[in-house]
Amino acid sequence: MTFLGRLAFNLIAWALVLVIAFPLAWMVVTALKPQSELFRRPPGFLPEAPTLDHFRRLLEETPFATYFGNSVILATATTAVVIALATLGAYSLVRFRYRGRESLAFLVLFTYLLPSVVLILPLYLMMVRLGLANTLASLVIAYTTFALPYALWLLRSFMAGVPEDLESAALVDGASRLGAFRDVILPQLVPGIISTALFTFILSWNEYLYALVLVNSDAARPLTTGVMSMLISAFNIEWSLLMAASVMMSLPLIVVFAFLQGYLTRGFGAGAVKG
Amino acid sequence: MAMTRIERRYAWLGLALIGPTVLVFCAVIVFPLVAAIYLSLFRIYTPTLEGAWVGLGNYAELLARGEFWQALRTTLIWTAGTLTLQMLFGIAMALVLHQSLWFRSLARSLVLFPYFVSTVVAVLVWRWLFNDLYGILNHVIMVAGVSDMPLDWLGTMPNAMVSVILVGAWKYFPFVVIAVLARLQTIPEALYEAARIDGAGPVARFFDITLPQLRDVLVVVVMLRAIWDFKEFDLIFLLTGGGPVTATQTLPLVVYKEAFSMNQMGMAAAHAVAMMAVMLVFMIVYIRRTRGGQGA
Repeated sequence: MTFLGRLAFNLIAWALVLVIAFPLAWMVVTALKPQSELFRRPPGFLPEAPTLDHFRRLLEETPFATYFGNSVILATATTAVVIALATLGAYSLVRFRYRGRESLAFLVLFTYLLPSVVLILPLYLMMVRLGLANTLASLVIAYTTFALPYALWLLRSFMAGVPEDLESAALVDGASRLGAFRDVILPQLVPGIISTALFTFILSWNEYLYALVLVNSDAARPLTTGVMSMLISAFNIEWSLLMAASVMMSLPLIVVFAFLQGYLTRGFGAGAVKG
Repeated sequence: MAMTRIERRYAWLGLALIGPTVLVFCAVIVFPLVAAIYLSLFRIYTPTLEGAWVGLGNYAELLARGEFWQALRTTLIWTAGTLTLQMLFGIAMALVLHQSLWFRSLARSLVLFPYFVSTVVAVLVWRWLFNDLYGILNHVIMVAGVSDMPLDWLGTMPNAMVSVILVGAWKYFPFVVIAVLARLQTIPEALYEAARIDGAGPVARFFDITLPQLRDVLVVVVMLRAIWDFKEFDLIFLLTGGGPVTATQTLPLVVYKEAFSMNQMGMAAAHAVAMMAVMLVFMIVYIRRTRGGQGA
C-alpha cells in the first residue's frame, strides 16, 4: 500500500474506533465538568475547569460507598466459590473417565444459554422461604447460576491445554492423583485460573436482574441497582454525579484493561465471551 | 472392557471431584428450572405466595392474550435488528483491526470496552447522550441541520425501538469482533497469495476466501448472539422500561412485569416457559438448517 493509502485507511479506521469509544469518553469528561459547563451551548469536549467535586459528593453525600463495598464483597465471594468448585470440576471433567461425563459437559453448555428471567422466579421463592431475601448471600447463590457454568466451561478448556504427560510422569513417580493435581497441574493452571477469575468477577460485578429482584434494602444493594435507584429517586437528575458513579463503577474494568491485558486475551482464546 | 481396580478408584475420585459442582447445579439450576415449569401450572399471588392449581389455564390465557403475541413480535424485531447490526459492524471492525493499524492494540481495547462495561453504565451514558435538552446527540443533529427540533429518542415510536437496537448493537458487537478476529488470524496467508496471482481483487478475495473460511465461526456466533439478544433484559428494561407504553416490551420484560408488578407469579412462569419453548424451536430449526447447508 502507498503511504497515502495507509494514511487514509488509518484515518478512517481510527475515526470509527473513536466513534465507538465516544460514549465512554463523554462519560469521563462529563464526570469532570462542573455543573455549569454541562448546560453550555455549544458544549465543549474537554472540561474548562475540571473538578473532582462530583466524586467527593458521591462518596460523602450518597450511599455510593456502601454499594461499592457490597459489590466488592459480592463479586469476590462469588468468584472465590465458583473458582474453587469449577477448578475441581474441570479437573474431573477433563482427566477422569466415568459414565455421564459427556452429558454433564453438555448440560453445562445448555445452562450457559438459559435465560435468567426463567430461573429468577423459583430462586426468588427459594430465597424468601430460606429467609435469605435482602442479603448478599442470596445474591452469591443466585450468581452461581451463571458464573459456575461459565467458569467451568472456561477452566475445562484451560485444563485441556495442560499436557497430560506431566500428570502421567508424576503418577509414575509415585504421586497420588490429588498429589499430582496439587503439585503438577495446579501450577500450570494458574494463569487460566486468574483469567477465569477476572472474567467471573466482571460478570458478577455487572449483574443487574438478580440484584433487582432479590435485594430491596440499601444495606445489601450492589452498585448496579444502587446507582439506578439514585437515578430514579433523584428529584432532578444530576448527570455529572451519575457519570462520576459510572466511572467509579467501571474502575475494576479499567484496571483489568490497563494492567491485565494478557489474561484477558488468554481468556478470549478459551471462549471467555458471554452476553 | 472390565475396569481394573485402579481405574475404578479413579472413576470414584472423578465423581467426588465433580460432586460439589453437580450438587450446586441441581440446587440453583436444575431444581429452579423444574420448579419454573411446575409454577406455571398455578395461579400464585406474589406477595403472599399463595397458590391454586390451574393446570394449563395460564397457558390458555397467555395464548389468547394479545400481549404475549405483541411481545413476541417485539422480541423478534429487536433480536433481528440488533443481531444484524452486530454482525455487520462486528465483521467489518474485525477486518479493520486485522490490518496493520497504528496503535492497533489500543484500538482493540477501545473497541472491546463497551462489551465488558456494565449494562447499567452503558444505559446511563446513553440516556445522557439521548437527553432531550442537553444531550450531545440532539445538539449534533441540530447543528448538522438534520432536524431543527430535538429528537425524542426513547419516548416515541419508532425512535425508541431504533435507539434500543442501536445501543444493543454498540454494546454487543465486540463479541463478534473477538470471535471473528481470532478466526481471521488462522486463515493461511497462502490462500490469499494464490487468489492474488489469479488476479482476484480485495472484494473478490473477501467473498471467495475470507467469508467461506469464517462460515463455521459465524454460524456459532449468530446462534449465541441470537439467544443472548432474545433473552436480553437489562438493556431494554433500563433504557425504555418497555415503553413508550408497551412498544419495546420484549418477552423477558413481560415475565418480570407479570411476576413483580402484576404479582402473578404463575402467569410469569408460564410466559418464561413459553419463551424458552420459542427459543428452543428456533435453535433446533437453526441447527438443522446450518448443518444441512454444510455439504453444499
